[in-house]
Amino acid sequence: MKGTEGTTVGTEPEARPRVGCAVDTDGRITFDVPSGSAEAGQLLLRLRPKKGQPEKTLHVLELEPTGDGGRRAVLDIRPVLAEGRWDVFLLQDPESRRLRLLPGPRDVRVLVDGHLRDRQSPLAVRIPYVTKDGHLAIRAWRRTAHAEAAGIEVTDRSMTVGARLHGASLREGAVVRLRRRGGDGAVHTFEARAGDDDRSFSFTVDYEKLTTGTSAGSGIWDAFVHPAPEASPIRMARLLDDVADRKAVFVYPTVTVSDALVHPYYTVDNDLSVKVTKAG
Amino acid sequence: MKISFLLHNAYGIGGTITTTFNLAQALAERHDVEIVSVLRHREHPNFTLDPRVSLRPLVDLRQEKEHPLHLRPAKVFPRSEYRHGQYSELTDQRIGECLATIDADVVIGTRPGLNVHLALQAPRHVARVGQEHLTLDNHSPRLRGALRGAYRRLDALTTVTEADAAAYRRKMRLPGVRVEALPNSVPDPGLPAADGAAKVVVAAGRLVPVKRYDLLIESFAMVVAEHPDWQLRIYGKGEEHDRLRGLITELGLYNNVFLMGAVAPMEAEWVKGSIGAAASNFEPFGMTIVEAMRCGLPVVSTDCPHGPAEIIEDGVDGRLVPVGDRDAMGAALLELVRDDELRRRMGRAALKNARRFAPGPVVEQAERLLAEAVSARRAGRPVAQERARVHRVLVSKGFAARDTAITAAGNALRVVRRGQR
Repeated sequence: MKGTEGTTVGTEPEARPRVGCAVDTDGRITFDVPSGSAEAGQLLLRLRPKKGQPEKTLHVLELEPTGDGGRRAVLDIRPVLAEGRWDVFLLQDPESRRLRLLPGPRDVRVLVDGHLRDRQSPLAVRIPYVTKDGHLAIRAWRRTAHAEAAGIEVTDRSMTVGARLHGASLREGAVVRLRRRGGDGAVHTFEARAGDDDRSFSFTVDYEKLTTGTSAGSGIWDAFVHPAPEASPIRMARLLDDVADRKAVFVYPTVTVSDALVHPYYTVDNDLSVKVTKAG
Repeated sequence: MKISFLLHNAYGIGGTITTTFNLAQALAERHDVEIVSVLRHREHPNFTLDPRVSLRPLVDLRQEKEHPLHLRPAKVFPRSEYRHGQYSELTDQRIGECLATIDADVVIGTRPGLNVHLALQAPRHVARVGQEHLTLDNHSPRLRGALRGAYRRLDALTTVTEADAAAYRRKMRLPGVRVEALPNSVPDPGLPAADGAAKVVVAAGRLVPVKRYDLLIESFAMVVAEHPDWQLRIYGKGEEHDRLRGLITELGLYNNVFLMGAVAPMEAEWVKGSIGAAASNFEPFGMTIVEAMRCGLPVVSTDCPHGPAEIIEDGVDGRLVPVGDRDAMGAALLELVRDDELRRRMGRAALKNARRFAPGPVVEQAERLLAEAVSARRAGRPVAQERARVHRVLVSKGFAARDTAITAAGNALRVVRRGQR
């Protein structure tokens, strides 16, 4: 019944294939290029450079044919990807241009409860996601040790954060420090209260400390835990689930303390900070 | 057959767009299919369209927003239609030209105002099928009046539920027009079904008051009180966003309830959850309920008109709770949260029962209907050759008279108000 002279205007420039991907509990990512898409031998992962900078870090993955005519590439646990956003391209042949990929079905469900699994050092996290302009990409974090923030309880004068260490353990004298971003080096120290084991802990930030005294004023305070008195600081962050961009999704109440607005938030890199905005 | 869909805006996000794309690409297996999008505001649609389906925009708002004709109100597209403000003399003209020159065997309208265009402007030889994705009862009397006049010139009218088809048969007199329920279809998921283990409840839809996300959030407080490790993820954007954010803060649910933003397609998000939820006051169909079930999630929904009760079998593949009843919603969610085995069993039932909404059966029905409309049009006879029973005529005349009276009263009131200014 199908006519032969259909006016198939085809406004879609669908040369770029939709590539599905699946993540397993170890962080291995399988990419599936469907059958019928552009001939290609390899996938290229590129760490997105800062604006105006040349690209430096690339990984190439071989595509192997699958039974159903498609092709598959596996990003194994190694290499550990450098921290940042990785764009994914199809390489048609070594000389030819790159084809940036559109997202197909993404199976990242194993990441949802990722905070329940204890990690070793170095911590490597990979979350496949869709960029604002609709392309497939991977967000990666690489940290020697990590402090995963869980719930945050906000009152009208403080916040209490529950957290768990990965790749480090809590010792006597552990503290959390909030360090003001920018030049003046202001730091406030809070007790890290040990939890059920040597990995979990919590701490309470009295907002007054951030809004009064010599360090008063607007600013952003970045949170670090020092798991032992002499240990190097570990950035507090929330990385162990499927949410690649947390800032607009995990939103905490703003309260007024001594003429300042205060709220905890996750940065564009999913790190935990506290923002203080002096009124006026 | 050559089949054309007439769609408001193929570049947006919404149930009508999704279901039109789904039906179009399923029909493209055996037919020539195009989607005519009256409006366009971006380069690519949000949903991928099968390359076999061609897409033809009529008015590109990126260039033609200030077109002189676009600044003048539409005349053919009825004034009482919800989206009249987005239509204009320019859309009247472009749609008119498009229909006058269309080489399709059948054109399918996808909203009331476009069905009116189709009824009034399609060439004689082209079969006309209107689709109602909302419901008759929810239209204003004035719009019902406009449709009553125009829809007689359609060959067939599809609703998304049996309940709405019954309303059309009862309240509109459309002699010779076949009125039939054609449910929305949802393609086979490309990902394995959810396994019921994730401590996540998922809801999706535009953040507008009728969806009652406020009620859902309040009911979820009951879940959090007992199971603080569960979360509720709400996908979508809309005017309610800030109010819902305020409610989440006020109820202290910011560690458990998340406004995730709009995501399309939703499939990868459904499979991260193990319960679906819908708290609407009104749901013409309930596309997201079917989507969730096709991914293996039991759905807790309000038993609102019309869709949910035709999709969910209460206690088997989900739960139906009274509209606007926060405690009932919370209790039904808790029942599934508490009982892993019940949740898994209902999830498996949902997966199985929702197969009736797979494109296969739905497309077969659509194909049959379209073919009948085309051959009836060619033969110059009506698709539905029912004898209008006297009773039905009287009933529908009664409804017509009532709509006219309500519309007239509204007009009179406006005149009075104007006089008082």
